Amino acid sequence: MDINETKAIRSTLLEEAGKCRACRFCIDVCPVYQATEWVESMSPYGRLQILKYLINGTLDEDDPLIYSLYTCLQCGRCDLLCRAKGQNLEVSNLIRMGKYLLSQGLVKGKKSEKV
Amino acid sequence: MDVNVARLAKDLAKIVGKKHVFTDRPTSIVYAKDVMPWDVEEKNVPYAVVRPSNSQEISKVLQYANEKLIPVHVHGSGTSLVGLARPKTRCILLDTARMKEIRVYPERSYFEAGPGAHLAEVRKLLTRHKAMLPVFPGSELVATIGGTIAVNTSAHGVDAALGKPGDYVLGLEVVLPTGEIISTGTESTRRAAGIDPTKFFIGSEGLLGVLTLIRMRLIPLPHFEHIVAYYKSTDDILDTVMEMYRQGIFPPLFFEFLDERAARVGYEAVGLEEPLGAVAMMRVHSWSKVGSEERAGDFIEFMKVGNPIEAKIVKDMEEWDKIWSSRAEAGNYMYRLGTTFGSEVTPRVDKLKDAYHEAKSVILNLESYKNPEFVSFGHIGAPTIHAYAFIPTKDIPNEVKKAITLEVREKTEELNIKYGGCGGEWGLTAQRVSFLKKRYEEGLYEVLLKLKRAIDPNDILNRGNLQGWT
Repeated sequence: MDINETKAIRSTLLEEAGKCRACRFCIDVCPVYQATEWVESMSPYGRLQILKYLINGTLDEDDPLIYSLYTCLQCGRCDLLCRAKGQNLEVSNLIRMGKYLLSQGLVKGKKSEKV
Repeated sequence: MDVNVARLAKDLAKIVGKKHVFTDRPTSIVYAKDVMPWDVEEKNVPYAVVRPSNSQEISKVLQYANEKLIPVHVHGSGTSLVGLARPKTRCILLDTARMKEIRVYPERSYFEAGPGAHLAEVRKLLTRHKAMLPVFPGSELVATIGGTIAVNTSAHGVDAALGKPGDYVLGLEVVLPTGEIISTGTESTRRAAGIDPTKFFIGSEGLLGVLTLIRMRLIPLPHFEHIVAYYKSTDDILDTVMEMYRQGIFPPLFFEFLDERAARVGYEAVGLEEPLGAVAMMRVHSWSKVGSEERAGDFIEFMKVGNPIEAKIVKDMEEWDKIWSSRAEAGNYMYRLGTTFGSEVTPRVDKLKDAYHEAKSVILNLESYKNPEFVSFGHIGAPTIHAYAFIPTKDIPNEVKKAITLEVREKTEELNIKYGGCGGEWGLTAQRVSFLKKRYEEGLYEVLLKLKRAIDPNDILNRGNLQGWT
């Protein structure tokens, strides 16, 4: 992937995750949120926020961040809920894109951005 | 404040178990974020998120916090629209999500719920028992009953039709800021006259204690009828609301509206034909089917005072679901097109129209952002005016978002004072402090500070909310 393509994905992710209103309506439909006894960083809402703050350089890539993003099962329930409640974000796809950037070492968060 | 986070994590883990303490930044930031339009700042990020399972654990967390003088911020689902949910200082964030047990006792005519129970779950369970939950926020899917009673919000419910949720609370278990666990109220459906400490904690917004058990009366599930009415303009709806109160007509349970702009957006979003003007929606209730049909018919007859283009009872629930979604999700439908900055004015009912037009003028003449659009929707029959500045972009710097929010707040506070309003249901302390000082002078605010100091001498719980955000 060339640098322009990476920039485009980062920019899309930042823009789309920035649209999340933090209403949290999606949390209850997430099986991982349920399985972890309702931890918000293990919910679709939490993952979108984490992605946003990773790409804008507020967060570092660290174990809890990776754990949160990589526990997404891509079941898509949050997408349906977000659509039904009017925001219409493709939440699971955004999380998938974020995981891709991480796996390719194309986004590393605060410390690495400074370097 | 110098806090050793590793030490803090170990100490909290001794109380609630290691699995239920988080000190990583991603989790802390996720819990700190709320619906307020600007991003969390470093001062908002908790040192730790702790997730107790019972009142004894909460008591120990609070005793520990008092010993170490670390603030504790109580978290339900973080759905407050005006900043109550965002910690104002670095703190231990106490998440009530694990305390969501609901028990219904039909033979005692009440139910009990843990603070973390989501309203949708409570409603589902109560419906099986043919009972109604008297709380109707748009965030019902995830809003907690603890947060709802701590704020005492009716939301869609018209106060004059059903009262406030707190009116149905029989008793509470509360952990005081210093860790004592107390019980208030009654297990009878007969409530105390005179001083009932239950009332001190209803609407206390987590400043005076953590609600750990809520006992509420079972209300027989009424029959409902639904009405939709189309008007040439919002003014006709305002006239109808004022006339309803002037004539002493019993108000519907819900009396909601979409102004011309919100109606276009909402109806398009749900796939209905664009209305010609503004739309009003009502839910009428009665204890018998015949009664609810009669009330709906009478109300439609009354509504002729506002000259609607059309007013009808909607029997087809699929149609009603679409119509209602255009209103229920109006906030999200507008938000996905840009950025919204809300306000709340709750005027004297005979001044509704004047207050509405002044609120509109405030929005259209903002100094912090030139030429925003005006949009309004919400609980107009309550009466509540939600006057929104709508800006059709997300690309607004944080400092500008803050300036717009503060200007809208300050100028709509003036309208609440001018028209005798209380600040409304969004008017939580986090946002209401400057209003309280202006509306009631410093004396009343001093009383609140004294009350807080008496019960929470170290200012541990929800520190900063009684000082208000800026």
